[in-house]
Amino acid sequence: MQLDSLYPYVERVIDVVQSKTQKYLFLAFCLLPTFIMFCIFTVYPMIGGLYYSFFKWSGTSSVMEFIGFDNYTRMLSDSVILRAIINDYLFVFIKVFGIMILALFFAVALTQLRIKEAPFYRIVFFFPNIMSVVVIGILWQFIYDPNIGLVNGLLRAIGLEEWARPWLGDMTWALPSVSIPAIWAGIGLFMLLLMGGITNISKSLYEAAEIDGASEWQQFWKITVPLIWPQIKTSIIYIVITSLNGSFVLVQVMTAGGPGVATEVMGSYLYQKAFEDFQFGYGAAIGVLILVLSLVSVIILQVLLKKEKVEY
Amino acid sequence: MQILSTLSKIAVRIPLFLWSIIVVFPLVWMFIGAFKTNAEIFSSPWSWPQQWNLNNFVAAWSNYNIGTAFLNSLFVTILGSLLCLLFAIPTAYALERLRFKGSDVLLNTYLASMMLPSVLGWIPLFFLLLKFNMLDNLWALSLVYAVSQIPFTIFILVSFMGNVPRELEEAAAIDGMSPYGILLKIVTPLVKSGIITATILNAISFWNEYFLALILLDTKSKNTLGVAMDLLKTSARYESAWGVLFAGLCIAVIPVIIFYSIFQRHIVKGMTEGAIK
Repeated sequence: MQLDSLYPYVERVIDVVQSKTQKYLFLAFCLLPTFIMFCIFTVYPMIGGLYYSFFKWSGTSSVMEFIGFDNYTRMLSDSVILRAIINDYLFVFIKVFGIMILALFFAVALTQLRIKEAPFYRIVFFFPNIMSVVVIGILWQFIYDPNIGLVNGLLRAIGLEEWARPWLGDMTWALPSVSIPAIWAGIGLFMLLLMGGITNISKSLYEAAEIDGASEWQQFWKITVPLIWPQIKTSIIYIVITSLNGSFVLVQVMTAGGPGVATEVMGSYLYQKAFEDFQFGYGAAIGVLILVLSLVSVIILQVLLKKEKVEY
Repeated sequence: MQILSTLSKIAVRIPLFLWSIIVVFPLVWMFIGAFKTNAEIFSSPWSWPQQWNLNNFVAAWSNYNIGTAFLNSLFVTILGSLLCLLFAIPTAYALERLRFKGSDVLLNTYLASMMLPSVLGWIPLFFLLLKFNMLDNLWALSLVYAVSQIPFTIFILVSFMGNVPRELEEAAAIDGMSPYGILLKIVTPLVKSGIITATILNAISFWNEYFLALILLDTKSKNTLGVAMDLLKTSARYESAWGVLFAGLCIAVIPVIIFYSIFQRHIVKGMTEGAIK
């Protein structure tokens, strides 16, 4: 409060001490170099991607042929694109449910139940979040390895020999198998976000509910979930964006889209088309598709997850 | 009642305990595997190594290029983090403290860019660097990394700069200190903890980065850890050199574990704030 009342006076002091030119020079010094770099390495590539998507181009300097929307119409008849889009959304779906259910359960358990070793779990669960995707991918390839892998080894050990299979080489099981490491590596962050929300809920609400005879299950649905809805919403949207924009890294490391196109997602298909088949125009068009789909998904989610703000 | 609540506490601990095992066991398995010979990994993937020797680590480090890649990753991580601070600190200060027309628009532009799929920009970025002869260049890769984290770093620093008392800046200005001096000597030291938080997260993301390095680097001597690990994986498959691959994974993970154990609080804070944005 005191600061606010001082503010006009203070502003004048600064104006007296520094001339206008000096001020603008300093402003330019602060903003321009950064903004120029941002334009060169972030804005230009984005716009460039949009621009390249209207060309047929193999990357060699001169032959760059303008073909209008041909890359986009080609996507319509490319069956791999459809498969990639479906796979991307399957990943999103498995991740949102897997991560949210587990993260919510762990968050409630670690905040509400006064478990002594809670900090230990928090530290352990979060760790995979900061591991490199390459390391996670390679490690899980081992875990799924048909011969020396942990999964098949475990299945054999408990007598379910017939369940053992080459997980990442199996047409039906490859996709869920690739999404498990994503859940494994993703839970910690969202657990912490939700824990932050839960610790801010006033204890008296639970005490009042207890007196009214509400079961713990009722308390969870009637108090905890509505009050941490903003965190739940943020988490879901964050998972969807990062998955659509980045799940291909794990796919590319673990299966490169295979077997066949069973795990192909838009990002990995972009990489293969552009940097392996040298169809840069088509690759750029796939990039635009990713941009459009992720923006549309976020807008739809914003509407779907909208809920009146709850305050008790 | 007492018994019931004890029972439910035990029941809740079971999934917690199971998930800890699911997280920790693969990592332990990887560390143990790094000390085994290939024959051991195949004959008894679950057992302890017969003797603890560092042969796999030595082989990975020197024969499979992991040593060079480790140093390259260290280089881009340090240079990238420093450059990012150099770009982000002045802008964050200007956006938070110097009011000017369009400051909100600029801040929102930076923040919104975090939502865009960077993969869309990779094709033009590749040809941009090709044109300027900057492909296969660790300096250029560091610069690209630094710029990619500018928005996130600005976002973190702006919230920390909001807490710096204005009186300090004003007093320094009245004493005749230039705005450059105020930024460098007054404000920057006061947002140290924000700088640490942002830098740790930047450093981790640069250390772990894989795809840009794959696209923008070419020769073996320039590869960073992510790319080198991927190549090691491919050759390990042909030669069945699994122990070496495990050792390589350990070399890539150990610095992160050390970092995590020292800066756990900063990392958690930075990541949760970054996700809330």
